[in-house]
Amino acid sequence: MDRKWLIVVAFVLIAALFGGVLGGCGPADEVEEEEPKTLIVGLAQSVLTLDPAMHRDRTSETVIRNMFDGLVTRTTSMDIVPEIAESYTQLTPTEWEFKIREGITFHNGDPLTADDVEFTFMRILTEGAVDGQSSPRKGLLGSLLKVEKTDDYTVLFTFEEPWPIFLRMLPHQQIVPKNYIEEHGSDYFAENPIGAGPFKLVEAALDEKIVMERFEDYYGGSPEIPPVGPAQVDTAIFEVIPETSTRIAALQAGDVHIIANVPTHMVDQLEADPNIAVKTCTGTNFFSVSLDMEVYEPFNDVRVRKALNHAVDVDEIIATVMDGLAIRCPGPCIPGSFGYNEAITGYDYDPEKAKELLAEAGYPEGEGLSFVLDTQDAHKDTAEAIVQYLEEVGIDVSVRVWDWGVLKPLLDEGGERAAVFSSWGNSTMEPHDLFEPKFVSKLDDVLGRGNYSRYSNPEFDELFFETTVLIDDNERIANYKILQEMLFEDAPVIFVYTPMVVEACSAQVERWEPSPDGRINLHRVGLKE
Amino acid sequence: MRLARVLERVFVAIPVMLGVAIIVFFFMRLSPGDPVDLMMGEAGSVSPREMEALAREFRLDEPLHMQLYHFLAGLLRGDLGNSFVKRKPVARLVREHLPATVELAIGALVIALVIAIPIGIISAVKQHSILDRVSMAGAFLGISMPAFWMGIVLILVFSVYWHVFPSHGRLPFAVGLKTITGFYTIDSILTGNWSALASTLKHLFLPSLTLGAGTAATIARMTRSSMLEVLRQDYIVLARAKGLTEYAVVVKHALRNALIPTVTIVALQIGTFLGGNMIVETVFGWPGLGRLVVDAIQRRDFPLVQGAVIVYALTFVMANLLADIIYTFVNPKIEL
Repeated sequence: MDRKWLIVVAFVLIAALFGGVLGGCGPADEVEEEEPKTLIVGLAQSVLTLDPAMHRDRTSETVIRNMFDGLVTRTTSMDIVPEIAESYTQLTPTEWEFKIREGITFHNGDPLTADDVEFTFMRILTEGAVDGQSSPRKGLLGSLLKVEKTDDYTVLFTFEEPWPIFLRMLPHQQIVPKNYIEEHGSDYFAENPIGAGPFKLVEAALDEKIVMERFEDYYGGSPEIPPVGPAQVDTAIFEVIPETSTRIAALQAGDVHIIANVPTHMVDQLEADPNIAVKTCTGTNFFSVSLDMEVYEPFNDVRVRKALNHAVDVDEIIATVMDGLAIRCPGPCIPGSFGYNEAITGYDYDPEKAKELLAEAGYPEGEGLSFVLDTQDAHKDTAEAIVQYLEEVGIDVSVRVWDWGVLKPLLDEGGERAAVFSSWGNSTMEPHDLFEPKFVSKLDDVLGRGNYSRYSNPEFDELFFETTVLIDDNERIANYKILQEMLFEDAPVIFVYTPMVVEACSAQVERWEPSPDGRINLHRVGLKE
Repeated sequence: MRLARVLERVFVAIPVMLGVAIIVFFFMRLSPGDPVDLMMGEAGSVSPREMEALAREFRLDEPLHMQLYHFLAGLLRGDLGNSFVKRKPVARLVREHLPATVELAIGALVIALVIAIPIGIISAVKQHSILDRVSMAGAFLGISMPAFWMGIVLILVFSVYWHVFPSHGRLPFAVGLKTITGFYTIDSILTGNWSALASTLKHLFLPSLTLGAGTAATIARMTRSSMLEVLRQDYIVLARAKGLTEYAVVVKHALRNALIPTVTIVALQIGTFLGGNMIVETVFGWPGLGRLVVDAIQRRDFPLVQGAVIVYALTFVMANLLADIIYTFVNPKIEL
């Protein structure tokens, strides 16, 4: 009898528990009811760390940049503007002087001075400086040798050789507090980070959510990005929602306000929702089909490579596969890049011309040309479209889809894969940052790290390295234009497109625009009542 | 005697764990993909010295047997190493993520049992009735529906259209729960934060239902068939002949015996729940061990994958042992 009662009670309790849940709950957007000025962002990936020196990850940087400011920052149109720095001057080709604004404080009230700036950069440059570990961000500082304080609010950056893209790379570095880290250690700092940004950390579970609140004593941020002043919302929360459908559902349900990485095929559905605004801007990922000239002999013939470029209708692929949400790259640079060569209008879609070129090269009707186009799952649709176009001119091609972690080392080693459709990040929109890994002759793990075509042109290399140390912008632009022409003529890849950054937000959100580099800075973003 | 047998089984698990650890070690290293190269991403601006320094720091420059030696030596000291990517001790990361996974597994189990056992019993007692046919069709559907699809459909219906349950996560920040154990249900009871408890259960419901649906279907079918078998036994006829009520016959005499195979399935499912929830955790943005491991595999974070797989193996071995122990309780004829 007792046991019977126990079972009955247990069932009643369980039923009551879930009944209570079902009955007692209202709409799921409870956060909005309790905190009207809480802004929630849905991220696609986990955050790896909150220490600005210890990652190479866009998502982590997105979150970090809301707590930490840098010497300079980027506007959503990718212009570099001062943030913590008041001004900067290039003294010599290898020396830059930065004046730091006075009156900036970290979240713990300590003033930000030249000591902190020097410490921030030396912590990245020096091996083992992060409690015995090394920062993976050293490569983002080029040939930087040292950073020295010259007075309390002035620092001097000294490079081994001129590095013209320094300013464009600088927004990736955020200033950390010297005294705090020296006192508590880097492990403690990663758990309890303090910066000089518009938000200070409240709590963080990196795979779940990072909660921040407005820093009331914020100096106001870059004077060139209005409205200058403290953050517009009381609380900002970054929640990790890896599944795309769930992220979109969360936005539609009102559980989050901004979501990143919206797939192009979802845009129409979201735009139909009056409570949601879809926002786009140019992206910074350069997509191309690398043609490995060492592995597949026919690719050694420039006529074959040009034929392949003529065979693919990139505009049609953008219109159909990408739903119009990509911008064609007619040549080896993303349109709008520094030194972009407008004269290059791309290879026309001309299957007849492609066939002629193939015939000239000894492959009439594509006969004798047979290879596999490798890619990863995310880019499969475009790869399949490209293959269809290539088949139309008689080439025997098929797509093979890989896990990127598996494919990447195979591409690095070479010797097997003939063609790969892949992307390369170019967040600085500076050709240097794209040409060095993609088109410079493969020398080691770094130079030509993404040169899957195994393209090697001594003339190109020479001019590239000459340009790398040029200080005068006009000279660099002139050289970059020549370099682009060389690449266009040599066609080591099929030039494809750069997908647009597609993000979506609730109609409540104001003053937010997506950024080409994919970062979500909430410095000025507000919520309507 | 029984305790001695249990201890023996626990000790036998140690070489199993060691074997698993070594296999995972080699699998991770044999799978293509360089952790340092993947960490640098598809971007320029990488210096060779920096990559060398990181490889050295992660001991990836050492020969394989030395890496294995360091791994096993650490394991004996109870040190699972540091995550390459997250730069934190693996043991700590696993400890932080395990409660979410266990809580979800328990939620799924409770939901599976609450749905399945009554359905199983009723379908057996009312065999061939409409109820029987409908519930068995439902069970068939439950087994056939893939978790990722079912999860998304549930989110669409209950979160987007009806606003009844939240779409993702474990708990909104605004309820202000102070975490003690990492199990949010327990923490909210311990701190007396009832709004957090309600919210935790609300967040737990859809993922638990998604994870538990397949198991519920299995248990319902299992309970039904063993119940049918038991109901045909002579002692049931005798119980009825004695004039016992139908309730007493079914619950007191038939159910206990019919549940023996079900108990085994349930105990084995605990292992599956803990190991098989990667998809559900990803769909619902649930910050558990499954998602941590998927992420770590993609980034070739060797120490983290190794550590997590060891924990999985341990739970699986222990769940099996638990199944065997429970079995001896429900069926005293069987020994460990």
